[in-house]
Amino acid sequence: MNTRSNKFIVITILCLTFMACGSETVGSLMGNKDVVVNLVYGSEKQEWLEPLVAEYNAANNKTADGSTIVIEAKPMGSIEAINAIIGQEIQPVVWSPASSVYLPVAEARWQEKFGHELAAQPPADLVLSPVVIAMWQPMAEALGWPTKPIGWSDISELAVSEDGWAAYGYPEWGKFKFGHTHPDFSNSGLVAILAQAYAGAGKQRGLTPDDLLSPELAQFMEQVESSIIHYGSSTGFFADTMFNRGPSYLSATVMYENLVVAQKSKRLSGASSQIPVVAIYPKEGTFWTNNPYVVLNAPWVSDTQKEAAEAFETFLLARPQQERAIALGFRPADPSIPLGSPLDAQHGVDPSQPQTVLEVPEAAVIEEVQYLWRQAKRPVDVTLVVDTSGSMAGDKITTARTSLVEFINQLSNRDRAQIVLFNNQVSVLSPLTPLADKREELVRRVSGIIEGGDTSLYDATLQAYQQLETEGDPDHIRAVVVLSDGEDTSSVRTWQEILQEIGASGEVEGGNSIKIFTIAFGSGADTTVLQQMAEPTGGKQFTGDPATIDDVYAEIALFF
Amino acid sequence: MQSNRLLFFGIISIAVVVVAGMFLARSLLVNNDPIILSILYSTEKDAWLNDVSSGFTGSVHGRPIQLEFEKMGSREIYLSVLDGSRQPDVISPASSLQISILHDQSMVEDGTPIVSASGADDCRSVVSTPLVLVAWQERAEALGWLASPDADMWEQLQAAVVNPQGWAAYNHPEWGFFKFGQTDPNKSNSGLMTLLLITYDYFNKTAGLSTADIIADDYSQWFGELGKFTTIGDSTGTFMQEIVAFGPSKYDMVAVYEATAIEQVDNAAGRYGALHIYYPPATVLSDHPFCTLHADWVTSDKVEAAQQFVDYLLTQPVQAKALELGFRPANPTITLDSPNSPFTRYAANGLKIDLPAEVELPSGEVLNTLINFWNRHHR
Repeated sequence: MNTRSNKFIVITILCLTFMACGSETVGSLMGNKDVVVNLVYGSEKQEWLEPLVAEYNAANNKTADGSTIVIEAKPMGSIEAINAIIGQEIQPVVWSPASSVYLPVAEARWQEKFGHELAAQPPADLVLSPVVIAMWQPMAEALGWPTKPIGWSDISELAVSEDGWAAYGYPEWGKFKFGHTHPDFSNSGLVAILAQAYAGAGKQRGLTPDDLLSPELAQFMEQVESSIIHYGSSTGFFADTMFNRGPSYLSATVMYENLVVAQKSKRLSGASSQIPVVAIYPKEGTFWTNNPYVVLNAPWVSDTQKEAAEAFETFLLARPQQERAIALGFRPADPSIPLGSPLDAQHGVDPSQPQTVLEVPEAAVIEEVQYLWRQAKRPVDVTLVVDTSGSMAGDKITTARTSLVEFINQLSNRDRAQIVLFNNQVSVLSPLTPLADKREELVRRVSGIIEGGDTSLYDATLQAYQQLETEGDPDHIRAVVVLSDGEDTSSVRTWQEILQEIGASGEVEGGNSIKIFTIAFGSGADTTVLQQMAEPTGGKQFTGDPATIDDVYAEIALFF
Repeated sequence: MQSNRLLFFGIISIAVVVVAGMFLARSLLVNNDPIILSILYSTEKDAWLNDVSSGFTGSVHGRPIQLEFEKMGSREIYLSVLDGSRQPDVISPASSLQISILHDQSMVEDGTPIVSASGADDCRSVVSTPLVLVAWQERAEALGWLASPDADMWEQLQAAVVNPQGWAAYNHPEWGFFKFGQTDPNKSNSGLMTLLLITYDYFNKTAGLSTADIIADDYSQWFGELGKFTTIGDSTGTFMQEIVAFGPSKYDMVAVYEATAIEQVDNAAGRYGALHIYYPPATVLSDHPFCTLHADWVTSDKVEAAQQFVDYLLTQPVQAKALELGFRPANPTITLDSPNSPFTRYAANGLKIDLPAEVELPSGEVLNTLINFWNRHHR
């Protein structure tokens, strides 16, 4: 063979080789890319979604261009999430709130900001569950359940009644203790106040701004809210609180049917020893959670992310994933999947319910009801106990000061706040008086807090607690919020005395007792002690550092 | 030498001519390129067309026919053909209502209609399904609808919807207010069909609906009240899924196609009680016409190809498949009362073979007036 034909053969082989491996080479290069889909969703479906996200990610699903789909999902209050998205604090690809109730408000605000529609396509429903009032079975029976229909109006009457459960022949149950989440952050809180507005107006549809102007409605709402033990950011947390603490703490809570089923399943398996809880489907009508999957039509969402988000949606709507949702107590969005166990009487629910719904009001009316609630909500008496020991020097004291100011600004004028500072001494910076008269002065005083000295954590906490017991108004939510960065080093009072005091008060007042919220600030804080202070009261222990302390205070504010 | 050279060039020239001639003849006589027939169809037919179109083979002058499908809502089909954003060869919206509007509107805009009036040879219906009301039987019975609703069904429905007492006025306070749903006529054909039937009924007519009728003040008020409390949806299929998934708490009654209802009857069993199908006193059909466009891109070969495909859709096995999916076949050799027919299986759910009289199809102008009327009350 001559050199020319040799050359030809070499070139041909090279060409063939490139042709053969070309697509694979390109594919593997592209396959190294990840497309990340951030998803924020309502916490009520956490138990369903979390394992599915892990499975989906493990399967290395690809988009058409060969990118590997990575889902990063985070539970967050439904309304809190959209507020954060519109404020561009977070930039997820998908928002899946508990229900479509807030969608009209979100849509209006989105269009105002971005000039186009919120959703990239009409959102599909992932799973369904009606909003119910979860109540301990003996209490529901005292109200006539299951034969007598019970509604928002009955709950409201009970909440308003001075006699509480005594009016139903059960004085030993004390006052009616009711719970719903914060309506500016969580879907179940929002629907609870919408239902209250309907009950107050005596309507089931056509709620108008005029209805909301009536002083009777405002008074009605204020009375119902007076039975609220505290608010909170997540429906899931409320369900846990009720089911862990039992009937002396909370009589009833607005939540979703699936959470009642989940509790019943725990009870049947022996994982919970509480008395049974049942779902009440309000006779005037309720709302549905439909868990819409909203792929955001946002400037930060790429076409590949949209494609990946849709692929994950298809996965969630497929039969095996829907069947897992049913096992957890949801109703399927796909009508070809039958309803069955555990959606049955054995699990405290009635699949033939609800019989009717309340009409979802238009956006402006929803916002009006939220405004009305802010005026009517149960006031809070809060004592902010702040560690000013020497170890708080630097970032800690500066961030604590600004976070406290923000916390004070979230409280309403009717709320009363006092501030107790401690190092080796305990000093009251401001007495328990309404913020209306002293907001500016208080902010000024807080901004001037300086550090130095030892840590008298027990003395300060106990003094704050006892003062709130004597000076606080039992009709208000009463809470002590303690921030500490170290172990107690200089108290006169003992740990035992604190436990005794808290225990005695909790027994008498149940959910209406004074709550202690604690913040372990930085790595030196005594987390064990702070946790043991908070939990028996129905409060919560948080961990924070200079970077996160403002979020921690903001979350505590949601309880009020 | 000279003559050799001449001979050489002569042979070459002849060869070139022969080869060129062969190519020319080949391209003129035996063109094997497929004829691509693009079809824009409405979403309701998706399952049926997906099932049957792979069985179609056809050719025109030896060229195989290749089908290209795109699906969209019926109203979108009308709009995209009218504004030229789509240039399909064949369109198949859910009903002749869109054909009527497109015919009249294209005549106004271009001086010549882009489609024939429906019923023409190049605009044939392949399956049909009437508009029905699907309701929870227990609730429809409480309204007084037993085997079938009365002649004043729409008046009864409007009265129940607007009654501030809701179901309490019918001895069922536990059912709350009366919840009726229909689709938006701007987005979905079933919404336009519902609006048409309600309007005809208000004027006690089944033919001759006029623009003057629609704009009458008393109708505006009557319909305005109904519209205020009607839940509006975008898609007929989604509506039907929702009445099954959410049960009677969300909808007492929805206006959908008979075929859409049939699709969900089995799913509804064992959920929230019996679901029943009711026929309005006068009906209108979603008749799924396949219409070839009168446009310069539709060649005579494409016209022929379209005819072949429609003939195929009307063949016995393809039509039998449509019946399985709940459509009424256009091919009269297929009867609805066979043992396996959904009309037999779901007779207990109120499905009926015989239909009441159809209302007359109004002109495109009247239909446009009707849509504008709707928009005044809903936007």
